Amino acid sequence: MDELLADFVAETREMLEQSGSELVAWEADPSDKKRIDTIFRFVHTVKGNCGFFDFPRLEQLSHAAEDALAECRAGRREPDNALVTAVLAIIDRISEMTDAIEAGEEFPEGGDEALIAALSPDAEVEVQSDIEIAEEPSAPAPANDEGETAAAKAPRQTVQRSIRLPVDLLDEVMKGVSDMVLARNDLARRLREAGEQPTIDGPFERLSAILADVRNSITRMRMQRLEHLFSSLPRLVRDLSNELGKQVMVDFEGSEVELDREMIEMVRDPLTHIIRNAIDHGIETPATRLKAGKREIGLLKFAARQSGNQISLVITDDGNGINVDKVAEKAIANGLYSRSEIDKMSDKQKENLIFEPGLSTADQVSSISGRGVGMDVVRSNIERVGGSIEVSSKLGEGTSFHLQLPLTLSIIAALTVGSGDQRYAIPRSYVEEIVFGNSSHVEFAQAGDRRLVTFRGQRVPCLALGEVLGGEANETCRWEDKTLILVRLASDDVFALAVDRVFDHEDVVVKPIAPAIMETRLYAGTTLLDDGRPMMLIDLPSIAQMRGMVGGVRTKTVGIEKEERAEKSKAVPVMLFAGLDGRHRAVRLELVRRIDTISRDAIDIEGDRAQAVIDGEIMTLAGHDTGPLPEERCRLLRLSDGEHELVYAVKEVLDAADITDDVVPSEADTAIEGVTLIGGKPIPLLDGHAVFARYRATRKIDHTLTCRIPEGSEWARTILEPLVQAAGYRIAGEDDEVEADLAIALAEDAAPITGGARETIRLRPEPEDAGDDTIYRYDRDALLAALKRIRTGRAA
Amino acid sequence: MNELLLMCTIAGRRAAIPAIEVQSVIEVENITPIPGTPDFILGLTALRSQALTVIDCSLALGLEETAEHSERRAAVVEIEGHLYALLVEEAHDVGEARSEPVAVPGGFGEGWQRAARGMVETDGGPTLLVDIGQLISGPLREAA
Repeated sequence: MDELLADFVAETREMLEQSGSELVAWEADPSDKKRIDTIFRFVHTVKGNCGFFDFPRLEQLSHAAEDALAECRAGRREPDNALVTAVLAIIDRISEMTDAIEAGEEFPEGGDEALIAALSPDAEVEVQSDIEIAEEPSAPAPANDEGETAAAKAPRQTVQRSIRLPVDLLDEVMKGVSDMVLARNDLARRLREAGEQPTIDGPFERLSAILADVRNSITRMRMQRLEHLFSSLPRLVRDLSNELGKQVMVDFEGSEVELDREMIEMVRDPLTHIIRNAIDHGIETPATRLKAGKREIGLLKFAARQSGNQISLVITDDGNGINVDKVAEKAIANGLYSRSEIDKMSDKQKENLIFEPGLSTADQVSSISGRGVGMDVVRSNIERVGGSIEVSSKLGEGTSFHLQLPLTLSIIAALTVGSGDQRYAIPRSYVEEIVFGNSSHVEFAQAGDRRLVTFRGQRVPCLALGEVLGGEANETCRWEDKTLILVRLASDDVFALAVDRVFDHEDVVVKPIAPAIMETRLYAGTTLLDDGRPMMLIDLPSIAQMRGMVGGVRTKTVGIEKEERAEKSKAVPVMLFAGLDGRHRAVRLELVRRIDTISRDAIDIEGDRAQAVIDGEIMTLAGHDTGPLPEERCRLLRLSDGEHELVYAVKEVLDAADITDDVVPSEADTAIEGVTLIGGKPIPLLDGHAVFARYRATRKIDHTLTCRIPEGSEWARTILEPLVQAAGYRIAGEDDEVEADLAIALAEDAAPITGGARETIRLRPEPEDAGDDTIYRYDRDALLAALKRIRTGRAA
Repeated sequence: MNELLLMCTIAGRRAAIPAIEVQSVIEVENITPIPGTPDFILGLTALRSQALTVIDCSLALGLEETAEHSERRAAVVEIEGHLYALLVEEAHDVGEARSEPVAVPGGFGEGWQRAARGMVETDGGPTLLVDIGQLISGPLREAA
């Protein structure tokens, strides 16, 4: 197509979108001169542009509309609903003609005269549903609100200078920058290998910074304010509600949020569908609303917000909500589920039934919805761009759809895993949890040839990535050595993917792969590692589909069990502290025995050896290498793994908190288990295992030593036993067959001690030294010293 | 027609790829295997931050005999937006075709027949002109 013509079409489109909402706002407040101006400008521009081309019909239409609007501008005519409808009809016709021009088609003859005639002041109102509006010139107050926000935005648009660019070119540039980032990473790696080179490192840093900036602005080039999407919605809502005899107003929040242009186009259709549903099924007729004690005008609210790499978009209506029982009945009637399956579902799951294919809640098929294109298509469209959708509803109060959309199409958050000798990437959005196969709370079971894993009360099927990719046989797979990734698909199906190890999580730039590789249906794309090696992105939904992990009652019942447990099990209590370097960290609360404060003098560090003296005990010190020790007093966390204790130096103990978010593992820093979000901030979680492994704690917790005391002696039981226990021994029972670490016998008691003991302390009844190695039974110090000597002797 | 050809050796035979379709000839260093793909797809390799799909030409022709790839040289081609590295046994110089590609009576033999666009005369003697599109689609899957 001629470039000029393409520009004409594009410009007309753009103005159409902008004026759609203006028209609706104008209708609510016809006296608003600004609105008339905008619409006038539109038809005027179309008319003017038509002069360059040979479009007599377009020119005629726009001319007629311009005339009518000019009358209004001049104050000679009051804009009424009939006029608005007529102008809208003309604008629609212009839009259709523009489409035809773009497609290079001939627009069918005729019909223009009727449209033009409708503009005249004494034209009869066409037989349309618009009549209702004409009868009750809708509530002015809320419409004004809407009008004002729109007015506030309007001038901003015109100020910004802009030019049109082909998307291909933008893509090309983006690709180039992505490649530059990869090349930079490669260079960085080589520089690291070559060691420090001051003359190169400086410029390289600068290059990195510039590249980061460029990348940022390139990304912004592809971004567009959501406003762009929102601006076309009031018109849609108006038309739909008119058609259905309902009154709906729209409210936008966060229209300044930016989204990938392509993404905006991708979500346009799903969004339209949701709006149709909301107006058709959700929002009641004015009369019904009044009866229910609501305002007669329904509210459709759009709220967008950016959080990190995601955009969340919430669409809420204050209509009737989803009748879950009705949906459930429908699902049974349509044969999607059996009654017993439905009975096991929670309300939440029943709500989610609306996403099932082949389920329409519409009682009758209207022209708006219920035409078989269901929410399942909406969901799959949103998932196709890497997003997710959820619904929540309250009967009688309204429905909300929560959409999560990635910022851009090509960069995704991924988890890198190892299988065989290779690394693969898994989209992070599917990963629910990562567990080690050898954890105590993971159990494997076998049903037929299918491996099942029981974890936190849910039994899920297992797939080994190695087996899926064909390198490893299920029979020889050592499940206990694997790391299990619990995958939750958007369909709510859960399965475990066993991989050899989990490396890290990173944002990857995904590129398409050759058709022959695509055919395997195992991979969704490829990406490059920092060192320049390619890595495949695993296509989890497709694998799940091929392996029959999708659908089926089994996983659904599992889901129910899961939902209840998830809440409880997910909150892990931790203690927040500031390390000596001042950085905030967390440690699992279970590990912390108590908090001590000691003087700096009680800490002795020499080379690799660091120790602290607490209550006359020497304990291994950790955490001192994160920063300088305080000068006077030092706060210590006493950590215990159940058998050993050590102390961890901190600057400050901050707070206790619960982790509810995932702990994202980190390969780079072995001293931490991973990073989690606490109060919105990323906090590294101390890896208890690594700390105890590194600082070999020397001191055993005392109760692991056992002691036998004389049986049948009341004195031993009442006086001696508490003392021995206080010194950290466990009293061996009568039927304890095992040799005890220590036995205490009374000197006058000649009877041999039942059961063996490695050491024996003999107590004598009189204070006088009897010359043997007995201890006077009330010589507390001597007794404690002996107990301690044996204990530390054994533990060492 | 003096079409420029990249002369190479595939499965021990002289073959040629139209030079205009070849972006460059590279030494393939590391290949990341892709499990689950047909044999003739050896995996991915990276060239200037771009992933190339590595094709073993000999296997792609359905010829069993894979000679040792002593040099690991490959011709980089782009087909439908995807980059491929066609691994050959040897890659020689670029030469000129001295004739139009012609068929020979009796064909070129199994495997070759499908991927060959014909025989051309070159300075080094008769050479098979290979169709790269056929190479990347691999041997016909009889089972399918």
